[in-house]
Amino acid sequence: MNVIEAIGLGKRYGSTWALRGCALAIPAGHVAALVGPNGAGKTTLLNLAVGLTAPTEGMVTVFDGWPAGSPAALDGIAFVAQDAPLYRNLSVADMLHLTRNLNRRFDQGYAEARLGQLGIPMGRRAGNLSGGQQAQLALTLALARRPRLLVLDEPMAMLDPLARHDFMAAVMAAVADGGVSVVLSSHVLAELERVADYLVLITSGSVQVAGEVDDLLACHRVLTGPAAEAGSYAQRLDVVNARRGGAQVHLLVRTNGRSGSAPPGWEEHPVSLEELALAYLREPGAAALPGPSRARAVEPAEVTNWQR
Amino acid sequence: MTIDKEISPADSRVGVAPSDAADADGPASAVPGPASPIEFRLDSGSGVPTYLQLVQQVEHALRLGYLKPGDQLPKVRDVVASLAINPNTVLKAYRELETKGLAAGRPGQGTFIQATLNHVALPELTELRRSLLGWLATADATGLDEDGMVALFTSALRGFRERRGAASGDSESVA
Amino acid sequence: MAALTTARPGQDAGLRPLPWRRMTWVTWRQHRLALAGVIALLSVAAAYLLITGLQMHQAYGAVSACRPAGSGICQQAASNFLGTYAPGVGVTLGVLQVIPALIGAFVGAPLLAREFETGTFRFTWTQGFGRVRWAVAKLAPLAVAVAVAGGAFTLLVSWYLQPVFGAGDDDGPLYPTRFDFLGVALAAWILAAFAIGVLAGVLVRRVIPAMFATLAAWAGLAFVTGIFLRQHYEAPLVTSSPNIPASAWVISQGWFRGGNAASLEMIDHTLRPVDVQAVTPDLFQPGPATPANFGDPVRYLIQHGYTQLTIYQPASRFWPFQWIEGGWLLALSLLLIAATVWLVRRRATQ
Repeated sequence: MNVIEAIGLGKRYGSTWALRGCALAIPAGHVAALVGPNGAGKTTLLNLAVGLTAPTEGMVTVFDGWPAGSPAALDGIAFVAQDAPLYRNLSVADMLHLTRNLNRRFDQGYAEARLGQLGIPMGRRAGNLSGGQQAQLALTLALARRPRLLVLDEPMAMLDPLARHDFMAAVMAAVADGGVSVVLSSHVLAELERVADYLVLITSGSVQVAGEVDDLLACHRVLTGPAAEAGSYAQRLDVVNARRGGAQVHLLVRTNGRSGSAPPGWEEHPVSLEELALAYLREPGAAALPGPSRARAVEPAEVTNWQR
Repeated sequence: MTIDKEISPADSRVGVAPSDAADADGPASAVPGPASPIEFRLDSGSGVPTYLQLVQQVEHALRLGYLKPGDQLPKVRDVVASLAINPNTVLKAYRELETKGLAAGRPGQGTFIQATLNHVALPELTELRRSLLGWLATADATGLDEDGMVALFTSALRGFRERRGAASGDSESVA
Repeated sequence: MAALTTARPGQDAGLRPLPWRRMTWVTWRQHRLALAGVIALLSVAAAYLLITGLQMHQAYGAVSACRPAGSGICQQAASNFLGTYAPGVGVTLGVLQVIPALIGAFVGAPLLAREFETGTFRFTWTQGFGRVRWAVAKLAPLAVAVAVAGGAFTLLVSWYLQPVFGAGDDDGPLYPTRFDFLGVALAAWILAAFAIGVLAGVLVRRVIPAMFATLAAWAGLAFVTGIFLRQHYEAPLVTSSPNIPASAWVISQGWFRGGNAASLEMIDHTLRPVDVQAVTPDLFQPGPATPANFGDPVRYLIQHGYTQLTIYQPASRFWPFQWIEGGWLLALSLLLIAATVWLVRRRATQ
């Protein structure tokens, strides 16, 4: 099942297209990272997926076909927007009460236990909590709804390193408990490497890379060799990005899973997620997208070199 | 490397296995279960994939005696809550340990060590050491310094590992 | 760490909407301060009306007990009473005119504007309750609450004005600043101000600007209604008689000739042969060349084809006008609230 599916999705604000021709199929049971530069369209995509805004063209559905923003979608998706919005004048207990009233499912015991563990007092006004505590409160409210999908928009932008760690630990613990898929966006990839097993790279309003992290890493290598030979091999190899010194060049290539494809005298290195993302971000014309079929069954990602 | 192990049915799990998660019924138990002897740590700068770091830490703990057969490995949920990593990563590591025969999962209870790393016999160790010293002498004679020796060895080891991983039918390409 | 219970939610395709009463606590908890503010505002005004009203009622007791009724002495007493109290009543009601505007600005405008300004709509509109039903569940009870508060306050104002009306004040119940507070008008104006406020909130999306927009819109509407619209609910009556019914609402009064209003210049021109100057349509200044036995300039003008006409609305039309005004204000309020809900449904984020 796909938690989020988008077909030809586009959103225009005034005369600017924040998102255009966006196609996406994020499978369930994953922690999907939505990565891209500021202004690339991540927040717009998430707003469309949770039903806060409507598409200008195309469509987005959740849980295999439910329209975004429909009652079934609202019921199954818990969204924590950027800066974790809360009613500042309400106490923590009141926020729990409010969330419980507005939803079908609410695990009050879990929420209270969790807040107790975090040391967040029930009587304090939400506006008087620290930034990290507010984020944890927002996350607690979202998780207590027992959603099928948790959507987080740049959840850690305002948090210090310890708060960030605690936040992601809580999200991962919820995933470990079972039943929750996660989609989270960030413009800082490094903090997502440990948690993401599905990657979506968005640049300039469209999807550039989409696939399981394991597949992406297995399909890409860095080949290091003499700069003079780079040209002759560039034709044969599927090169995404080249970085060259005077005598040495690093080619980030797609290998479709074959290892040992390095030409003689060249070194082959595995690629980290950050390196991969940076390479694609530097090459707007390159893309790594799954095949045209809807990814219901698990299948290896077909990688296409789509030059625009 | 040979491994002593008791005959036990292979317990292969694919995908996210809830059996290793925290209590299947009801909220968290009031009394925490006995803690695992070991605790994982993460070295994000090392370049080694996370799941591999966990595998190596278990093997290292076995070698040093922190872990013995019958000990329980940390629950997936606890690892994830303290390291903030994806649960699939931990499951992948535990599957790898099962494939190596070092651990086995018991449904509803967790993952337990079921074997020790066998020590390589002393004569074989001595022979390996002698051939290694020979190689070091040759390398030194060709002008390679210590750092160069380490780099060469590390790179060759990585290649060896990858070829062995590919040869055993890479089970990690598909979740 | 606490663990989630692992029961899986049912995949119910036909989800029944959450019951409305879930929102009762939410609306109360989030707007109890605003409602308290309304109560406080009305209480302060009520206290003042109560204190001055009791004084007035006491003074009026002597006037109404005066016998024989209708005699010159009693009429003088009534006149004295009005002279003492009527100006104060006028000022008081003038100040209290702002009540609907304040309610609209402080209860209606922030309702939705604050959600946008603080970004909490991103939280609330992604909960299971659904944004349209949430909006209706908030707007309906609050609208009813403020209208009912207005209705209750109207009772107090009616009591307050009894002595003044009883003493035969020229400014009757149809008079602009009094009409607004009597019958159903106050409740209707408060409702309309509230509706203007919530619509302004969803359009402007910032609290302070929405409040100003509400005040401005309400002021404009009230002004246009009071000065231009209300007098035309029914065609006004015209009379040339100098005796105007008591407590009628005089809209205009003046000289007419040949069916048209006569300007001051025309009157002055007509009076030129007798050297009388028309200072104002009511004030005439005889000059040195005026004949000695000239007499009343008014009679002279009447002899020359002028008629003094009074355009007015009789006091008996008070309730019909109340229903008309209350009716269209109610319709307007419902329209504005419907538009607000529609915009909530449509409103995209920035």
